[in-house]
Amino acid sequence: MTLSLQNLTIGSHEQCLFENISFQVRAGEVVTLMGPSGCGKSTLLSAIAGHLSPVFSVQGAVTLNGLNVLNLPPDRRRIGILFQDDLLFPHLNIWENLAFALPRALAGQKRQDKALATLKRIGLSKLSDKMPTEISGGQRARISLMRMLLSQPHAVLLDEPFSKLDKVLRSEFRDFVFTELTRQQIPALMVSHDEHDIPVGGLALHWPWHQRDKR
Amino acid sequence: MIRALYFITLFICALPFIPGLLGLILPAFSWLPSLGMLTPNVNAFTLLASWPGLSHSVLLTLLTGLGSTVLAVLFCFLLLRQYWNSPYWQRIELSLSPMLAIPHIAFAIGFAFTFSSTGWFFRTLEALGFNTEGWFSIIRDQYAVGLLLALAIKETPFLLLMSIAVLQQIKVTQLLSVASALGYSHKQAWLKVILPQWLPAMRLPIFAVAAYGCSVVDVALILGPSRPVTLSVLVWQWFNDPDLSLLPRAAVSALLLLSISLLILALIRALEWYLLQYCRQWQVAGAHAAQSQGIGSRRHYLLYTPFVGVSVMAVVLLLLWSFAQRWRFPDLLPTSYSLRFWQQESLSLLKLSANSISLALLSSFCALILAIVCLEYRQKYQRGLPAWLIALPMILPQLSLLFGMQISTYFIPGNWYWLWVAWSHLFFVFPYLYLALDGPWRNYDIRLDQCARSLGFNGWQTWWRVKRPLLLPAICLALAVGISTSLAQYLPTQMLGAGRISTITTEAVALASGQDRRVSAVYGLLQGMLPFIFFTLAIAASRYSLRANRSHQQKRRANADDIIAAKPHYR
Repeated sequence: MTLSLQNLTIGSHEQCLFENISFQVRAGEVVTLMGPSGCGKSTLLSAIAGHLSPVFSVQGAVTLNGLNVLNLPPDRRRIGILFQDDLLFPHLNIWENLAFALPRALAGQKRQDKALATLKRIGLSKLSDKMPTEISGGQRARISLMRMLLSQPHAVLLDEPFSKLDKVLRSEFRDFVFTELTRQQIPALMVSHDEHDIPVGGLALHWPWHQRDKR
Repeated sequence: MIRALYFITLFICALPFIPGLLGLILPAFSWLPSLGMLTPNVNAFTLLASWPGLSHSVLLTLLTGLGSTVLAVLFCFLLLRQYWNSPYWQRIELSLSPMLAIPHIAFAIGFAFTFSSTGWFFRTLEALGFNTEGWFSIIRDQYAVGLLLALAIKETPFLLLMSIAVLQQIKVTQLLSVASALGYSHKQAWLKVILPQWLPAMRLPIFAVAAYGCSVVDVALILGPSRPVTLSVLVWQWFNDPDLSLLPRAAVSALLLLSISLLILALIRALEWYLLQYCRQWQVAGAHAAQSQGIGSRRHYLLYTPFVGVSVMAVVLLLLWSFAQRWRFPDLLPTSYSLRFWQQESLSLLKLSANSISLALLSSFCALILAIVCLEYRQKYQRGLPAWLIALPMILPQLSLLFGMQISTYFIPGNWYWLWVAWSHLFFVFPYLYLALDGPWRNYDIRLDQCARSLGFNGWQTWWRVKRPLLLPAICLALAVGISTSLAQYLPTQMLGAGRISTITTEAVALASGQDRRVSAVYGLLQGMLPFIFFTLAIAASRYSLRANRSHQQKRRANADDIIAAKPHYR
């Protein structure tokens, strides 16, 4: 899978946020977008995910393996998203949160089994029946990532996913995210303010996102 | 002082429950010493059970109570799903207050003018070439369809308004983004992510709607079936029976109404538990493929139009009928207009308005003082009013509670009708007013008080000079809520006033089933206008207070700037 942005231009009737942005993210690669607050990093992610407010217009193309997804509704783009808040569904327990993301084809008990197996793999199987409010921030962050990965996305967007974690947790969770993304060979586009978030050997695009750095 | 007032509030607001229940249960067992009934027995129960139309009345009550609630909840959820966070939502939110300001009775009269067999809807059909003679009309129909629909349409804006605070607590936009990234369409995401969080948080407003739906008398008298009537109307008719020896039968039926209301609340709670807790597999069964119809397909602006349309139509028809001199069926508009009926009723209108307004002002100002005292007490001692005290007057059938309250007043000598009516209004106004102030009081930054106290203000000065100006807009609006609640009270005025105190509302209901639509329209329109006037005054007062505060601040800032600017080094 390759995520490509081709001549992407986003603007409202008042101003143009950015023009003709083009770059590619290959399978298993994490590209980090760096830039000052308000430059439109999260807006770009919203546009790619399909959640951009209708006041903005988007031109150009966002392709996943050659298919332009810009005209598809968000639920059919198969682009996973991870925010700085874990956003686990508070009305569902942990295994149900994971099962929520599984494809419908997997029915009945198999859903629960798959969710429990995922929890076991990341060493959190004891938490399966807990509610999201009953577990720690670090555990919630891991489950949130696993939930997204269980939906088998073709690309992943990370909107400052580590910014609310403390220093130790941040480092642990960062390694966990990059390992999982590389393991599953998913292209990922990340927004961050922190240079430390750039994975080793990963690409960073600095505002206005033409200048490339390799860490 | 504040502690004493807090306990007085508890006393005033909790007291009616005791006589309310005792006055209901004891007469049901035929124990009414004031009427010479001193031997308890179950004759009244037998009498009620043998009433031929009872099962039909109970069924109608279940149907209207449960049906109107389920429909209102469904309408509300569909509207939220369609419009929440869309550019159209702003307009919906703006339309809610005027729609809520229309009292149930004015709305019911206007609804009847629209959908009766000679109403505007049938006039339009006739104008389009249909012959509507003998067609089914939903006004006073035997299945209570009109009553059910009117209640559902009238309660939907209330549920929408209550939903705003609930949805603001839920991270709707972000959760929907996550759900759509996991493959769920907008509709599925609302159903599986938002509904399970929204529904439990809406329990109290939904209970209030259900309790109102099954115990409503005034609207049922205007729109409901007449043979047989709903149980609440039957209780009301029996309660007004001139033969006082039949009062135990009325008490038993009021007890039955209370039981049915509680049963409906239990059913709603059970349904919620079954859907969201017991049988929750559907929530995690995965996303349906290819249900989404593409971006922007959910912006159908027509869905909300019927709700605004019916309310606007009701008001317009009240206005037209009140000025109509001659309006024959099937003419779409009156053929001649006149002020005759306004002039004819002017003296009576003035007197009734004075009664309505005095009662509303008296009960609302008392309730306001008590509510502020309770909120201040909570802030100071971290102990709020018990939740049941706020909830019960809203979710128990008014008729059952008032029945007991009135029976209790029989034991007190003297004709204190004004006092009893004002007390009952206060009892029903207080919860609404308290809830209207609860949010602003919680949001008030307590550090402002601490700051003022550190500057040398005493407690009262701090409240008057810091807190009051900041919370004045909320106080004005809460007062308007209280006044409009009081203005709409029909049963408390009729029952505790023993028919000796008339208001615009009681007259509007009495005239609604009369022969002359024009007189009925005059009263209905005025009943709708009074709360509207108070809401307008409240909004104007709150804006004025905001502007006054701002100009005061600006003035002070300008003066400070002058002082600073006068120093040579600042130039």
